[in-house]
Amino acid sequence: MSRRLLCLYLSDLPQEPTEQNRVKQRLIQWCNRYSPIVADDDAGGIVLDITGCAHLFGGEEALLNDIQTRIRAAGQRVRGAIADTLGAAWALARYSKQVIVIGSELPQALNPLPVEGLRLPEDVTRALRRVGLTSIGAFHKIGRQALVTRFGASTLLRLDQAFGQIEEAVTPYRQPAPYSIRRALPEPIAYTGAVEHVVAELVTELCLRLRKDHTGARRLNLECYRVDGAVSTCGVSTSKPVRSVKHLMRLFSEKIETIDAGFGIETLILSVLNFDRFDPAQLTLTHFDPDRNDNIEAFDELIDRIGMRLGFEHVSRLRIQQSFLPELALQFESVMAPVTPNAIWPEYRLRPVYWVDPPMRIEVATIHPAGSPVQFRMGRDARRIVKSEGPERLTPEWWRLESRVWQVRDYYRIEDDRGCRFWIFQEFYAAATLARRWFLRGHLP
Amino acid sequence: MLIAPASSKHVLADLREKIDTLEGAPRRFGRTISICDVVDAVLPGRGLPLGCIHEIKGNPANVIAFAGLLSTRIPRHGSVLFIEPNRTLFPLGLLPYGVDLTRWIHVRARKPKDLVWTVLEGLRCPQVTAVLAVIAKADLTFSRRLQLAAESSGATGFLFGNMASAITRWQVSPVSNFGWSLELLYCRGGRPGSWHVGWRNGQLIELSRAMQRELAAETALAG
Repeated sequence: MSRRLLCLYLSDLPQEPTEQNRVKQRLIQWCNRYSPIVADDDAGGIVLDITGCAHLFGGEEALLNDIQTRIRAAGQRVRGAIADTLGAAWALARYSKQVIVIGSELPQALNPLPVEGLRLPEDVTRALRRVGLTSIGAFHKIGRQALVTRFGASTLLRLDQAFGQIEEAVTPYRQPAPYSIRRALPEPIAYTGAVEHVVAELVTELCLRLRKDHTGARRLNLECYRVDGAVSTCGVSTSKPVRSVKHLMRLFSEKIETIDAGFGIETLILSVLNFDRFDPAQLTLTHFDPDRNDNIEAFDELIDRIGMRLGFEHVSRLRIQQSFLPELALQFESVMAPVTPNAIWPEYRLRPVYWVDPPMRIEVATIHPAGSPVQFRMGRDARRIVKSEGPERLTPEWWRLESRVWQVRDYYRIEDDRGCRFWIFQEFYAAATLARRWFLRGHLP
Repeated sequence: MLIAPASSKHVLADLREKIDTLEGAPRRFGRTISICDVVDAVLPGRGLPLGCIHEIKGNPANVIAFAGLLSTRIPRHGSVLFIEPNRTLFPLGLLPYGVDLTRWIHVRARKPKDLVWTVLEGLRCPQVTAVLAVIAKADLTFSRRLQLAAESSGATGFLFGNMASAITRWQVSPVSNFGWSLELLYCRGGRPGSWHVGWRNGQLIELSRAMQRELAAETALAG
């Protein structure tokens, strides 16, 4: 199937750059309702790759009419054209009366157009005009070799692109989603229940496709195109690949309420932004549905819902790392990260359960000749130490730069006269002149 | 018809059973875990009931360790949620109590509203073995909701704070020589009690007075 490109020329964009950019970005995002591939052509226009999209709107002409009517209704002047190549659509939108040119009509439509339609730098266009090459058709009379030597290779490239001899890629302003499902509604809807119903249909269709491909969604986005031209979006993330309708719907139902439907939503697009491989599980006698293993899934769903509400950075697995430094030995790792194996922790190295972070400064008045403290003070609270174990000397690992802030720490496990157990340390700095400082690091059970 | 004279003990036991049936207690106390022989003896189900809410107060380190070791005894495959407003848990300290950290999920919920929501959702999930949470306070209505959530899924909640209603209420405080003073302040259908226990060789055992004296003497000599 040959490609179809639609070019929109917006003739009265605001002059002020930031304002112009804002208007254009909004239009580009809105144009996504017609095609997943939409790009800014950097010359006051928008390009849509509508290959295979036109039939959804009743053909090319109907699509062009629809898009132009809507943009004009929003108070923006626009001229659009559809052709088989980007170059041709670009030129037609700006310089031709004929707006839909398909197949063999292309040379005929393109030849009479002015040379400015070739998207060449201004100085090249001026030079071409000076030698009398005012229309695109005029180039056919000159040899290709001569064109290259006089006006550079880019002139030839633009010419070939316009006529379709060289394929030209459209770089979308955002990557088209690997899975995307669109639903245009006959009547705009605003009621949350109705939106949820449509989303459920989209999710069901999506899950079927995901299952066929042995994949599961990790990040989804729902775009709601409103009648007033605005786009409301909401996103959902999961900690593991998911393709269960029930699971996704529970995540979406919490988000759908936040969507501002305005005067009604007329088109919804559900896209998967990230996905992962998800092979169907072995069927067991108790679980007939390969996509739903209730036991595991109920938990994944819970984690996703907690993550969506609190942020996934606050929902973590506990991972033991290969390090003796307490700050590094244990990592709180987000559930979104892939699972990595745990290191083995030598249990004879007793560690606190309750962590004091940052370490609390304590005053140690008396020190045993062996080096262990005899009495310490936390603020006004003085504690007499009955028992102490240590020191356990930990030095920063030389290969880790970030941990080399301090030099050496001597850790002690101590028990005071009330039975409370603490994990304290004394810090030594390289400069011997500094007083040694004591800190409370944690509480032992 | 002649009715055999029943001893007062029997009458009491019968009455208790009747009340339990009315309260729906047998189901609740159906599954229990053992804490330690002497403690189990006073608990109505000969152990700590699962699928309900327990309140644990006291020194934070001891509270976490006690709840952590109880969570390892629950014979159900599933995850353990630890929910707190600020990151104070240092899980490496739990390893000596046999805790499998790969089954733990730590959730940090800064807003109290989010925290209670997470606890409630966690307790409702059938794949959650236990929920350990630092809740400052829960009123009667919310405590009841937590209890119902736990009953519906079978998950057990160990909540560190003041609960208006709980099946058992514990206070753990440290005593010398790595011992704990374990106080059962309240127990539905049981009597309160207090014990000196210690974690020795992978078991929670009662430290008898004699043993304590011995240990104290040892320390005195060593000191």
